Amino acid sequence: MANPELAVAGGARIKRNRRTRALAVFRRNLGAWALMIPSLFCFILLVWKPLIEGVVLSFFKTQGYDAVQFIGLDNYRAVISNSEFKAAFFNTFSYTFWSLIIGFLLPLVVAVFLNEIVHWNSFFKVSFYFPTMVPGVAAALLWYFMFNPGQGGILNNILTHMHLPTSQWLQNPNLTIILIVFTMTWRGFGGTVLIYLASLQSVNRELYEAASLDGAGFWKKLTRITLPAISNIVFLMLIMQIIGVFQVMNEPLTMTEGGPNNASLTLMLQSYYYAFRYFQAGRSMAVGTITFLILAVLTVVYQIVSKRTETDE
Amino acid sequence: MFDNKNTGALSSMDLKAARNRVLYWVMFALLMILALICLLPLLWILLSSFKTPKEMLQIPPTLFPSTIDIHKLGYAWELLDFSRYYLNSLAVAAGAVVFTIVCNGLAGFVISRLRPAGSRVFFLLMLWTMMLPNTLSLVPLFKTMIKFPIFGFNLTDTYWPMWLVSGASAFNVILFKGFFDGIPSSLIDAARLDGCGNLQLFNRVVLPLSVPILAVMTIFTVNGAWGDFLLPYLILKTPQRYTVMVELFSAKGSSISMDIQMMMLIFVVIPPLIIFMLFQKYIMTGFTLSGIKG
Repeated sequence: MANPELAVAGGARIKRNRRTRALAVFRRNLGAWALMIPSLFCFILLVWKPLIEGVVLSFFKTQGYDAVQFIGLDNYRAVISNSEFKAAFFNTFSYTFWSLIIGFLLPLVVAVFLNEIVHWNSFFKVSFYFPTMVPGVAAALLWYFMFNPGQGGILNNILTHMHLPTSQWLQNPNLTIILIVFTMTWRGFGGTVLIYLASLQSVNRELYEAASLDGAGFWKKLTRITLPAISNIVFLMLIMQIIGVFQVMNEPLTMTEGGPNNASLTLMLQSYYYAFRYFQAGRSMAVGTITFLILAVLTVVYQIVSKRTETDE
Repeated sequence: MFDNKNTGALSSMDLKAARNRVLYWVMFALLMILALICLLPLLWILLSSFKTPKEMLQIPPTLFPSTIDIHKLGYAWELLDFSRYYLNSLAVAAGAVVFTIVCNGLAGFVISRLRPAGSRVFFLLMLWTMMLPNTLSLVPLFKTMIKFPIFGFNLTDTYWPMWLVSGASAFNVILFKGFFDGIPSSLIDAARLDGCGNLQLFNRVVLPLSVPILAVMTIFTVNGAWGDFLLPYLILKTPQRYTVMVELFSAKGSSISMDIQMMMLIFVVIPPLIIFMLFQKYIMTGFTLSGIKG
């Protein structure tokens, strides 16, 4: 019995008293719910209704943004048979792959290093976190300027001065995804480093000392003590990374608009184009639903692991 | 040098060995390179923005601008009429803070302290939707804003959509609830005995005790609103009403020359960086907490 009023009400024997009590409880609840109205209003209109409406729209023929006729899975068929969708689908996996190579490993390595460093430690923390403060689209634009393929582009400029060949950067279809992942990593890795650092600092140092006495080197301590100790948070971050990068959209929109020749198009960008360029809201939502389903699986895995981590601690 | 080292796998003892010292300084050097990659690009953009458009296209290109004319900053500011966009973004941010406190703060208070029947369900529902991927909301959200379900208002080209969306942050509700849970019950009970109503309790007792969380929330909300791009980009049609991010994005591919675009980027980035410098400790610890919780 969490609610003291209810406990009192249950103990009271007189019926009339019980009724007035119940009324008081009801009025109290009502008063409390009244304070929730602003929040409820926002959640219902801006979170829950759109979620359901989005799935519903994906089964309808749309005109403007309104559903006009139920057409079953036609949107899905149309979307899946579209070559742009195929490009976006495989690209999104390619983004994920590169973000695991660059975006996932980097913060882990940096956190392990930084945990050892006693000189300039705060300077490093602040510098690594610094790019996180640059707004996402501004960061994308910043690197868009850096990667400008012309002679005047900043990186090409440096390359020229070092007498090295210049690059097409984002205009090179083989590089474009890697560079976009690099940009996202540049902006985001500092936060992850801080999270890892917090958990590295909770590793029992007596274990390290004991290992030292047994003659274990740095690498051995790392793989036998450190990594097992933080493996749960590492795995959580891994799933978060995949969920995050799977929804990437602002960066390619800003840096390449999905080009060159759809080489950097992603599922979410495709969904955005369907909605606001081709004005086919139903198809946009079909792409959204497909992405949603893929990610829902990952989210469930995340929840299970996250629960396990909590009970471990 | 390493006498008091109390973090990491390498102890002061280990670092007496030459091999481990080399390892240590190699790690230090790698981190230094990375720190430079984090810090330098923005500086480089700033430097490049002082080049004249002619110098930008010059072959062979110059590494540094031939002259640095500080007045160019003022000139670009005037040319872009950037005060306007600063004010617009500030208006969006201020409204977002109000909605965050009124909606999320009150919800956190009710869930934490009043606990009416059914509030637990609301809380769980909120938690679930926070965890769901956000791939479906864009079109329906836009649709809602074109024809708002109440009186059918068209909210495009206003700041209401951004404000309302701040009122629906599950994450902030959780943070508020977590903080309010820690307020001693004796204070709440005392206020009750003095005849405080729910709203009074929130205004007079809970809020004054919550200055730390309000500060953190304000910093994060202002920062988030400043950097928010997609929704304002879809909603705002009149260039005079653009926020800084929308203006920055639409400058790309416009007739504005590259050096001025770069300067605009600097203008956009400066306020968050000032916030970072002032509240660095709050922000970095706040981030770690939120990261572990979320």
